[in-house]
Amino acid sequence: MSARPEDRRVVAPRPRWLRIVGALALVSTAATVWLGLWVTPPDQVQGNLVRLVYLHPPIAWVALYLAFGLAALSSLFYLWRRTRSLFWDRLAAASVEVGIVFTALTLATGMLWGRPTWGVWWTWDARLTSTALLLVLFLGYLALRRVPADPEVRARRCAVAALIAFVDVPIVHFSVIWWQTLHQGATVLNSNLSPTIHGSMAWTLLLGFVALTLVFVWMVGVRYRIEVLADRTGAERLEVSLAERWAEGDLDMAGASGSPATRNGGAVSLRPPTRVGP
Amino acid sequence: MSYVDAGYAVGLSVLFLYAIGLLVRRRSLERAVDLSMPPSESADGSAETGAAPAP
Repeated sequence: MSARPEDRRVVAPRPRWLRIVGALALVSTAATVWLGLWVTPPDQVQGNLVRLVYLHPPIAWVALYLAFGLAALSSLFYLWRRTRSLFWDRLAAASVEVGIVFTALTLATGMLWGRPTWGVWWTWDARLTSTALLLVLFLGYLALRRVPADPEVRARRCAVAALIAFVDVPIVHFSVIWWQTLHQGATVLNSNLSPTIHGSMAWTLLLGFVALTLVFVWMVGVRYRIEVLADRTGAERLEVSLAERWAEGDLDMAGASGSPATRNGGAVSLRPPTRVGP
Repeated sequence: MSYVDAGYAVGLSVLFLYAIGLLVRRRSLERAVDLSMPPSESADGSAETGAAPAP
Protein backbone atom coordinates (compact mmCIF):
# COMPACT_ATOMS: atom_id res chain seq x y z
CA MET A 1 0.00 0.00 0.00
CA SER A 2 1.44 3.39 -0.90
CA ALA A 3 1.36 6.24 1.57
CA ARG A 4 -1.18 8.98 1.09
CA PRO A 5 0.38 12.41 0.49
CA GLU A 6 -0.98 13.72 3.79
CA ASP A 7 0.66 10.80 5.65
CA ARG A 8 4.01 11.62 4.14
CA ARG A 9 3.64 15.35 4.77
CA VAL A 10 6.68 16.55 6.67
CA VAL A 11 6.33 20.28 6.11
CA ALA A 12 4.81 22.24 8.99
CA PRO A 13 1.12 22.93 8.33
CA ARG A 14 0.11 26.28 6.92
CA PRO A 15 -0.65 28.71 9.76
CA ARG A 16 -4.33 29.28 10.40
CA TRP A 17 -3.90 32.99 11.07
CA LEU A 18 -2.68 33.45 7.52
CA ARG A 19 -5.98 32.22 6.14
CA ILE A 20 -7.89 34.60 8.40
CA VAL A 21 -5.69 37.52 7.33
CA GLY A 22 -6.16 36.51 3.68
CA ALA A 23 -9.94 36.47 4.02
CA LEU A 24 -9.94 39.83 5.84
CA ALA A 25 -7.67 41.31 3.17
CA LEU A 26 -10.01 40.16 0.42
CA VAL A 27 -13.13 41.54 2.13
CA SER A 28 -11.55 44.88 3.07
CA THR A 29 -10.07 45.38 -0.41
CA ALA A 30 -13.46 44.68 -2.00
CA ALA A 31 -15.09 47.17 0.42
CA THR A 32 -12.46 49.81 -0.42
CA VAL A 33 -13.08 49.39 -4.15
CA TRP A 34 -16.85 49.57 -3.68
CA LEU A 35 -16.65 52.69 -1.49
CA GLY A 36 -13.97 54.28 -3.63
CA LEU A 37 -15.62 53.79 -7.00
CA TRP A 38 -19.34 54.04 -6.20
CA VAL A 39 -20.07 55.53 -2.78
CA THR A 40 -17.69 58.46 -2.13
CA PRO A 41 -18.42 61.77 -3.87
CA PRO A 42 -16.21 63.31 -6.56
CA ASP A 43 -13.80 66.01 -5.42
CA GLN A 44 -14.51 69.71 -6.01
CA VAL A 45 -11.17 70.25 -7.77
CA GLN A 46 -10.07 66.85 -9.10
CA GLY A 47 -13.50 65.43 -9.88
CA ASN A 48 -13.56 61.65 -10.26
CA LEU A 49 -9.77 61.45 -10.37
CA VAL A 50 -9.78 61.71 -6.60
CA ARG A 51 -10.95 58.09 -6.51
CA LEU A 52 -7.34 57.09 -7.17
CA VAL A 53 -6.49 58.46 -3.72
CA TYR A 54 -8.04 55.35 -2.16
CA LEU A 55 -5.58 53.15 -4.03
CA HIS A 56 -2.34 55.01 -4.77
CA PRO A 57 -1.35 56.29 -1.28
CA PRO A 58 -2.17 52.96 0.48
CA ILE A 59 -0.04 51.10 -2.08
CA ALA A 60 2.79 53.58 -1.58
CA TRP A 61 2.42 53.25 2.22
CA VAL A 62 2.88 49.48 1.98
CA ALA A 63 5.83 49.74 -0.41
CA LEU A 64 7.83 52.43 1.30
CA TYR A 65 7.11 52.13 4.97
CA LEU A 66 5.88 48.59 5.61
CA ALA A 67 7.77 46.47 3.10
CA PHE A 68 11.10 48.24 3.00
CA GLY A 69 10.83 49.24 6.67
CA LEU A 70 10.34 45.61 7.65
CA ALA A 71 13.18 44.57 5.34
CA ALA A 72 15.53 47.10 6.93
CA LEU A 73 14.51 46.14 10.46
CA SER A 74 14.92 42.43 9.71
CA SER A 75 18.31 43.08 8.16
CA LEU A 76 19.34 45.01 11.25
CA PHE A 77 18.26 42.11 13.46
CA TYR A 78 20.21 39.72 11.27
CA LEU A 79 23.37 41.78 11.48
CA TRP A 80 23.10 42.18 15.25
CA ARG A 81 24.86 39.17 16.75
CA ARG A 82 22.37 38.62 19.57
CA THR A 83 19.40 38.21 17.23
CA ARG A 84 21.20 36.68 14.26
CA SER A 85 19.00 34.04 12.67
CA LEU A 86 18.10 33.04 9.12
CA PHE A 87 14.50 33.85 10.10
CA TRP A 88 15.31 37.56 9.75
CA ASP A 89 17.05 37.01 6.42
CA ARG A 90 14.05 35.14 5.02
CA LEU A 91 11.65 37.73 6.36
CA ALA A 92 13.66 40.50 4.70
CA ALA A 93 13.73 38.61 1.40
CA ALA A 94 9.97 38.04 1.52
CA SER A 95 9.32 41.64 2.41
CA VAL A 96 11.55 43.03 -0.34
CA GLU A 97 9.91 40.96 -3.07
CA VAL A 98 6.42 42.06 -2.02
CA GLY A 99 7.71 45.62 -1.65
CA ILE A 100 9.00 45.62 -5.21
CA VAL A 101 5.55 44.65 -6.53
CA PHE A 102 3.99 47.46 -4.50
CA THR A 103 6.64 49.99 -5.58
CA ALA A 104 6.05 49.16 -9.24
CA LEU A 105 2.32 49.62 -8.62
CA THR A 106 2.98 52.92 -6.84
CA LEU A 107 4.71 54.17 -9.97
CA ALA A 108 2.06 52.76 -12.33
CA THR A 109 -0.94 54.16 -10.45
CA GLY A 110 0.92 57.45 -9.94
CA MET A 111 1.49 57.73 -13.69
CA LEU A 112 -2.19 57.08 -14.34
CA TRP A 113 -2.98 59.90 -11.94
CA GLY A 114 -0.26 62.19 -13.28
CA ARG A 115 -1.26 62.02 -16.94
CA PRO A 116 -4.65 63.75 -16.57
CA THR A 117 -3.49 65.98 -13.67
CA TRP A 118 -0.07 67.18 -14.87
CA GLY A 119 -0.45 66.39 -18.57
CA VAL A 120 2.52 63.98 -18.62
CA TRP A 121 2.99 60.31 -17.82
CA TRP A 122 6.38 60.88 -16.28
CA THR A 123 8.53 63.77 -15.16
CA TRP A 124 11.93 63.77 -13.49
CA ASP A 125 10.39 65.16 -10.33
CA ALA A 126 12.21 64.50 -7.02
CA ARG A 127 9.46 62.25 -5.61
CA LEU A 128 9.09 60.20 -8.78
CA THR A 129 12.81 59.89 -9.42
CA SER A 130 13.65 58.86 -5.86
CA THR A 131 10.84 56.26 -5.95
CA ALA A 132 12.12 54.85 -9.25
CA LEU A 133 15.61 54.72 -7.73
CA LEU A 134 14.20 52.82 -4.75
CA LEU A 135 12.74 50.23 -7.13
CA VAL A 136 16.09 49.79 -8.87
CA LEU A 137 17.98 49.54 -5.56
CA PHE A 138 15.74 46.78 -4.25
CA LEU A 139 15.82 44.97 -7.61
CA GLY A 140 19.56 44.93 -7.01
CA TYR A 141 18.89 43.34 -3.62
CA LEU A 142 16.97 40.53 -5.32
CA ALA A 143 19.77 40.10 -7.87
CA LEU A 144 22.26 39.85 -5.00
CA ARG A 145 20.21 37.07 -3.42
CA ARG A 146 20.58 35.03 -6.59
CA VAL A 147 24.38 35.14 -6.48
CA PRO A 148 25.46 31.64 -5.38
CA ALA A 149 26.95 31.74 -1.89
CA ASP A 150 26.81 30.11 1.50
CA PRO A 151 23.41 31.00 3.09
CA GLU A 152 25.04 32.98 5.88
CA VAL A 153 27.34 34.90 3.57
CA ARG A 154 24.39 35.66 1.32
CA ALA A 155 22.30 36.76 4.28
CA ARG A 156 25.02 39.13 5.52
CA ARG A 157 25.57 40.66 2.08
CA CYS A 158 21.85 41.12 1.53
CA ALA A 159 21.30 42.63 4.98
CA VAL A 160 23.93 45.27 4.26
CA ALA A 161 22.44 45.91 0.81
CA ALA A 162 18.94 46.31 2.26
CA LEU A 163 20.17 48.86 4.80
CA ILE A 164 21.99 50.83 2.10
CA ALA A 165 18.90 50.79 -0.15
CA PHE A 166 16.67 51.85 2.74
CA VAL A 167 18.53 55.18 2.96
CA ASP A 168 16.43 56.21 -0.05
CA VAL A 169 13.12 55.81 1.85
CA PRO A 170 13.42 59.02 3.94
CA ILE A 171 14.61 60.79 0.79
CA VAL A 172 11.38 59.72 -0.96
CA HIS A 173 9.31 60.80 2.04
CA PHE A 174 10.86 64.25 2.46
CA SER A 175 11.43 64.90 -1.26
CA VAL A 176 8.22 66.96 -1.47
CA ILE A 177 9.48 69.17 1.38
CA TRP A 178 13.15 69.42 0.46
CA TRP A 179 12.62 70.20 -3.23
CA GLN A 180 9.99 71.96 -5.29
CA THR A 181 8.07 69.16 -6.89
CA LEU A 182 4.98 68.61 -9.00
CA HIS A 183 3.88 65.92 -6.60
CA GLN A 184 1.49 67.12 -3.93
CA GLY A 185 2.51 67.21 -0.27
CA ALA A 186 1.39 64.71 2.34
CA THR A 187 -2.39 64.53 2.85
CA VAL A 188 -2.43 62.49 6.05
CA LEU A 189 1.14 62.31 7.42
CA ASN A 190 1.81 66.03 7.04
CA SER A 191 3.91 68.17 9.37
CA ASN A 192 0.86 69.28 11.42
CA LEU A 193 -0.45 65.70 11.61
CA SER A 194 -3.89 67.04 10.67
CA PRO A 195 -5.34 65.17 7.68
CA THR A 196 -6.62 67.44 4.91
CA ILE A 197 -9.31 64.96 3.88
CA HIS A 198 -12.69 64.57 5.54
CA GLY A 199 -15.92 62.61 5.81
CA SER A 200 -16.53 59.49 3.74
CA MET A 201 -13.39 60.20 1.74
CA ALA A 202 -11.26 60.00 4.91
CA TRP A 203 -12.91 56.77 6.07
CA THR A 204 -12.51 55.14 2.68
CA LEU A 205 -8.86 56.18 2.57
CA LEU A 206 -8.36 54.74 6.06
CA LEU A 207 -10.03 51.49 4.99
CA GLY A 208 -7.71 51.43 1.96
CA PHE A 209 -4.69 51.64 4.25
CA VAL A 210 -6.04 48.80 6.42
CA ALA A 211 -6.93 46.64 3.38
CA LEU A 212 -3.57 46.99 1.67
CA THR A 213 -1.75 46.43 4.97
CA LEU A 214 -3.64 43.13 5.36
CA VAL A 215 -2.81 42.21 1.76
CA PHE A 216 0.85 42.90 2.54
CA VAL A 217 0.81 40.77 5.72
CA TRP A 218 -0.79 37.87 3.85
CA MET A 219 1.65 38.11 0.94
CA VAL A 220 4.70 38.27 3.23
CA GLY A 221 3.35 35.26 5.18
CA VAL A 222 3.02 33.17 2.03
CA ARG A 223 6.30 34.43 0.57
CA TYR A 224 8.14 33.63 3.82
CA ARG A 225 6.92 30.04 3.62
CA ILE A 226 8.13 29.85 0.02
CA GLU A 227 11.55 31.02 1.19
CA VAL A 228 11.68 28.30 3.88
CA LEU A 229 10.59 25.59 1.42
CA ALA A 230 13.02 26.80 -1.26
CA ASP A 231 15.92 26.71 1.22
CA ARG A 232 14.94 23.20 2.21
CA THR A 233 14.62 21.84 -1.33
CA GLY A 234 17.83 23.67 -2.28
CA ALA A 235 19.73 21.99 0.57
CA GLU A 236 18.32 18.59 -0.35
CA ARG A 237 19.22 19.08 -4.01
CA LEU A 238 22.76 20.00 -2.96
CA GLU A 239 23.07 16.87 -0.83
CA VAL A 240 21.86 14.64 -3.68
CA SER A 241 24.14 16.41 -6.13
CA LEU A 242 27.17 16.00 -3.84
CA ALA A 243 26.36 12.32 -3.30
CA GLU A 244 26.14 11.84 -7.07
CA ARG A 245 29.51 13.52 -7.53
CA TRP A 246 31.05 11.24 -4.91
CA ALA A 247 29.54 8.23 -6.61
CA GLU A 248 30.89 9.37 -9.97
CA GLY A 249 34.31 9.83 -8.36
CA ASP A 250 34.22 6.26 -7.06
CA LEU A 251 33.28 4.95 -10.51
CA ASP A 252 36.02 6.98 -12.23
CA MET A 253 38.63 5.69 -9.79
CA ALA A 254 37.49 2.13 -10.34
CA GLY A 255 37.63 2.62 -14.13
CA ALA A 256 41.09 4.24 -14.08
CA SER A 257 42.76 1.73 -11.79
CA GLY A 258 41.42 -1.44 -13.29
CA SER A 259 39.41 -3.93 -11.36
CA PRO A 260 39.06 -3.59 -7.61
CA ALA A 261 41.00 -6.80 -7.19
CA THR A 262 44.16 -5.42 -8.86
CA ARG A 263 44.06 -1.97 -7.29
CA ASN A 264 46.86 -1.40 -4.72
CA GLY A 265 48.03 -4.86 -5.43
CA GLY A 266 44.80 -6.20 -4.08
CA ALA A 267 45.80 -5.16 -0.59
CA VAL A 268 42.75 -2.98 0.05
CA SER A 269 39.21 -4.09 -0.42
CA LEU A 270 37.21 -1.30 -2.00
CA ARG A 271 33.61 -0.60 -1.14
CA PRO A 272 31.26 -0.78 -4.10
CA PRO A 273 30.16 2.51 -5.66
CA THR A 274 27.33 4.02 -3.62
CA ARG A 275 24.02 3.93 -5.37
CA VAL A 276 22.28 7.26 -5.02
CA GLY A 277 18.85 8.41 -5.92
CA PRO A 278 15.62 6.62 -6.49
CA MET B 1 -11.85 53.55 -20.08
CA SER B 2 -11.10 56.39 -17.70
CA TYR B 3 -7.80 56.86 -15.91
CA VAL B 4 -9.53 55.91 -12.64
CA ASP B 5 -10.81 52.62 -14.06
CA ALA B 6 -7.39 51.91 -15.56
CA GLY B 7 -5.71 52.62 -12.20
CA TYR B 8 -7.99 50.22 -10.34
CA ALA B 9 -7.73 47.59 -13.10
CA VAL B 10 -3.92 47.70 -13.14
CA GLY B 11 -3.56 47.81 -9.35
CA LEU B 12 -6.00 45.04 -8.52
CA SER B 13 -5.08 42.72 -11.38
CA VAL B 14 -1.34 42.90 -10.63
CA LEU B 15 -1.98 42.17 -6.94
CA PHE B 16 -4.32 39.32 -7.86
CA LEU B 17 -1.88 37.76 -10.34
CA TYR B 18 1.02 38.08 -7.91
CA ALA B 19 -1.07 36.44 -5.17
CA ILE B 20 -1.95 33.54 -7.50
CA GLY B 21 1.72 33.22 -8.42
CA LEU B 22 2.65 33.01 -4.74
CA LEU B 23 0.08 30.27 -4.13
CA VAL B 24 1.29 28.26 -7.12
CA ARG B 25 4.94 28.58 -6.06
CA ARG B 26 4.08 27.54 -2.50
CA ARG B 27 2.07 24.53 -3.69
CA SER B 28 4.77 23.28 -6.05
CA LEU B 29 7.49 23.63 -3.39
CA GLU B 30 5.36 21.85 -0.78
CA ARG B 31 4.87 19.03 -3.27
CA ALA B 32 8.60 18.91 -4.03
CA VAL B 33 9.44 18.68 -0.32
CA ASP B 34 6.80 15.99 0.23
CA LEU B 35 8.12 13.92 -2.67
CA SER B 36 11.74 14.27 -1.61
CA MET B 37 11.01 12.70 1.78
CA PRO B 38 11.43 8.92 2.05
CA PRO B 39 8.17 7.07 2.75
CA SER B 40 7.44 6.84 6.46
CA GLU B 41 7.89 3.46 8.08
CA SER B 42 4.95 1.51 9.44
CA ALA B 43 4.83 -0.07 12.92
CA ASP B 44 6.40 -3.38 11.81
CA GLY B 45 9.35 -1.56 10.30
CA SER B 46 8.43 -2.14 6.64
CA ALA B 47 8.30 0.81 4.31
CA GLU B 48 4.85 1.86 3.15
CA THR B 49 5.73 1.32 -0.47
CA GLY B 50 4.54 -2.26 -0.57
CA ALA B 51 8.07 -3.61 -0.59
CA ALA B 52 8.92 -6.53 1.63
CA PRO B 53 10.85 -5.75 4.81
CA ALA B 54 14.59 -5.93 4.41
CA PRO B 55 16.15 -9.09 5.81
